[in-house]
Amino acid sequence: MIESFVLITQVLLMLAGCFFFGVGTLGLFRFSDTLCRIHALTKIDNLGLGFIVLALLPLAPSMAAGLKVVLIWVVALAASATSAHLVARAVRSGVRARMEKGNRNG
Amino acid sequence: MALLRAFCLRAGVFFLVWWVLTEGDPSGLWSGAVIVLIVALFSCTLYPPSSHALRPAAALAFAGYFTLRSVTAGLDVARRLLSPSIPLNPGYLLVKTSLPEGGPRWLLANTLSLMPGTLSVRLQGASLELHCLDLDLPIDEDVRAAERRVAGVFGLSETSAEESPS
Repeated sequence: MIESFVLITQVLLMLAGCFFFGVGTLGLFRFSDTLCRIHALTKIDNLGLGFIVLALLPLAPSMAAGLKVVLIWVVALAASATSAHLVARAVRSGVRARMEKGNRNG
Repeated sequence: MALLRAFCLRAGVFFLVWWVLTEGDPSGLWSGAVIVLIVALFSCTLYPPSSHALRPAAALAFAGYFTLRSVTAGLDVARRLLSPSIPLNPGYLLVKTSLPEGGPRWLLANTLSLMPGTLSVRLQGASLELHCLDLDLPIDEDVRAAERRVAGVFGLSETSAEESPS
């Protein structure tokens, strides 16, 4: 009984996580300028990853493994905040043209 | 003395991270201990301990506040994105922070990047340039609230945080 309850919760959390990742990606298409897109990507993806981490926690075989999953979320959070800041700064400083060129090449 | 304390503290945190990364595998603990000591030594040489000490209780409270606000942020952007008219009123806003240089300012800038409606664009001295999704939101109040929390994490008293020109 409890097991199936946990399973259902996990599936729901996982679906919520995937939904937010999808919405975050949609932001790339619906928002018109770079900075608004970064808003969507950082904030919504952070939420999506959070839901997926919550869904995975009951599956962790040990305390350390569970903490590892949480650590992944924390590091991804720090990375996304920092990269959002760096991209925003680059846009503001007017190296937009160079960045777009780099994106096309990559 | 402060250096020794920082060294022990960092070594402890790094060892915890090692333990988590190896998922508690006992065969890796000894090599981990050696690596942790080397890394802690390097870390203390490269980043000498600053005068801003973290307050564990306030840091926990901050983590709770941060989680709550970042969930709000995600939902807020998702709501704007999914509504047919895309209600946005984007623009730049310049705020002055009263937090001291270094760690506190960086924490504030990174926190604001994940808070509802704000994205830190440039940090120059005490002025922080934000990009806002909606300028009608009470952004100034949010920034002050986040600032107070950050000040609490670093154990800076409210008065000293508000004394400086804002």
